[in-house]
Amino acid sequence: MNIKKLVKVVTYGTLAAVSTVTIAAETDVEALSKRLEMMQKEMDELKHQIQMSASKKDVQAVRQEVAVAREWRQPDTLIHMAGYADVGYADTESKDGSFNVGTFAPIFHYQYRDLVMLESELELEVGDDGETEINLEYLTIDLILNDYVTLVGGKFLSPIGQFRQNIHPSWINKLASAPPGFGHDGAAPVSDVGFQLRGGFPIAGIRTNYAIFISNGPELKAEMEEEEGEIEFELDGVEAEGFGTDSDGEKTFGGRFGIIPFSGFELGFSAASGKVTVTSIEDGDSELLDGEAARDYDVIGADFSWQWNAFNLRGEYVKTEVGDDNGAGTAASAGADWETWYTQASYQIPKTKLELVTRYTDFDSPHDSRDQEQWAFGINYLFTNNVIGKLSYEFNDALNRDIDQDRLLIQMAYGF
Amino acid sequence: MKHPAKKYIYAHGLRMILLFLAASAAQFGYAFDYPEKGDFAKGSQAWADNCTRCHNMRNPADLRDDQWITTAFHMRIRAGLTGQETRDILTFLQGSNTKPESYEGKGELSASAGSGVTASGKDTYDSTCIACHGANGKGSLPGVPDFTDRNGRLSKPDGELLTNMINGYQSKGSLMAMPAKGGNPALSPADMESVLQYIRDQFAN
Repeated sequence: MNIKKLVKVVTYGTLAAVSTVTIAAETDVEALSKRLEMMQKEMDELKHQIQMSASKKDVQAVRQEVAVAREWRQPDTLIHMAGYADVGYADTESKDGSFNVGTFAPIFHYQYRDLVMLESELELEVGDDGETEINLEYLTIDLILNDYVTLVGGKFLSPIGQFRQNIHPSWINKLASAPPGFGHDGAAPVSDVGFQLRGGFPIAGIRTNYAIFISNGPELKAEMEEEEGEIEFELDGVEAEGFGTDSDGEKTFGGRFGIIPFSGFELGFSAASGKVTVTSIEDGDSELLDGEAARDYDVIGADFSWQWNAFNLRGEYVKTEVGDDNGAGTAASAGADWETWYTQASYQIPKTKLELVTRYTDFDSPHDSRDQEQWAFGINYLFTNNVIGKLSYEFNDALNRDIDQDRLLIQMAYGF
Repeated sequence: MKHPAKKYIYAHGLRMILLFLAASAAQFGYAFDYPEKGDFAKGSQAWADNCTRCHNMRNPADLRDDQWITTAFHMRIRAGLTGQETRDILTFLQGSNTKPESYEGKGELSASAGSGVTASGKDTYDSTCIACHGANGKGSLPGVPDFTDRNGRLSKPDGELLTNMINGYQSKGSLMAMPAKGGNPALSPADMESVLQYIRDQFAN
């Protein structure tokens, strides 16, 4: 009896224990299974993330690419080429019309941070004989001293007036030609070699700008005439085109001061003073110039520009005076004056790309044969703001038949 | 015989220039965080005030950021700009030549401007638009539309105008396109709605 009971107890106890263990085991398996499932899921996500994320190598490659891009976009030294070019057609009263390549003028800019900039413009022209002529229009190294002063050294465009330094590029000049007297042997100086201080500053809320310079100055060319065995000389012209030597050893000083009293309007005053010497004789023997003394050289000028919506009005006056030669080796004893002025108005017709232009110029030189009065009328088509098609007609009035000719000019100009 | 004043100027010209140079050099220094950032709004005004005195306005999109740096410094020397004016103009040009952000589906913005506005329409107009469109809305540059024209630009629906303002727009006869967001990429869609409402309130006839 006791044995039977014992067997029963043992059997039930064993069954109970087994059941308990089994139930517990089943619970653990389920939990483990869930955990495994979660781990599998996490692993899949990690695998996906690893696949999607960049490797160290990839990151380095991207960093390199960014660095190169930044280098290209903004290094300490920047190089840039700008400039302008024009082609055209000219038809004068006494000559058949001809197509022409006007000018190709690349401008190079090399800049080191905001400390220094090198600027240089070449002027390439094809002459009537087909020969290509290359000139260095200007070459300056500009040292930016502070927010208000820049030191400019080298061959620079004359700061007398506005036309030569700012308006002469063909994509800016609204007519196809320069106003008489503002060209390469007129009343207004073209360029000079020396140093300038340039900049701008406000005075009581009014903007101003300035340029003062010291330079080698121009040279004079004399003309020789023989009448009844007598040789006479007279001044032929002032060559103010940036000479690399100072023939008289006396420097020229000058500058321009501009004031902008209100938006769109600028008034400028210019002056220069120095010495100048005859250094060559047109069709003559330059040895005759021995002992030629330095003469007084003075330039005064005034200019204005006014922009009001689509209307623009500008004008400029320049007078160059050369004194008498009081020296011993006189090639040309008498002094001379050159004087020129122009006024130009333009208007862009609203909602079109057409622009109307007119300009009046009066140029007086010591030689009546070179005096010229000109009315010019033009209509421009602005393909873009820097690509301009010009059609203009000049009515010229002069004693000299060559410059008395009225002209039709067509020009396509591109500023880049 | 030289005039005494002229004689004086001639005799002392070199000395004066050297003195000026010495005084200027004493302040020598260039921005070490080149190119130092300027003020966008002042730049847009200085750009409108200065460039057309000599030449047609160049489109900001004509050049890349780095090309604008050399061009702006070239013009600084040529036009007698101050350093600060140059930096302001450069900031405006570099901000204005940025390609517009994609704004698909936003062209049909409602005319109920004013909700969610982050800057007043007047502030936005005065800081971004006024240089070209003028204080009177008639346009201060050639080719810029006259907002006061009864049959002009403001006769178009708000949705079309907002799309043009946000993406940029080339007006017929204008020498350059209005840059996206007036050249100021910081403006939000709400700013654009706000400034459009301001323009209508001020200038529409």
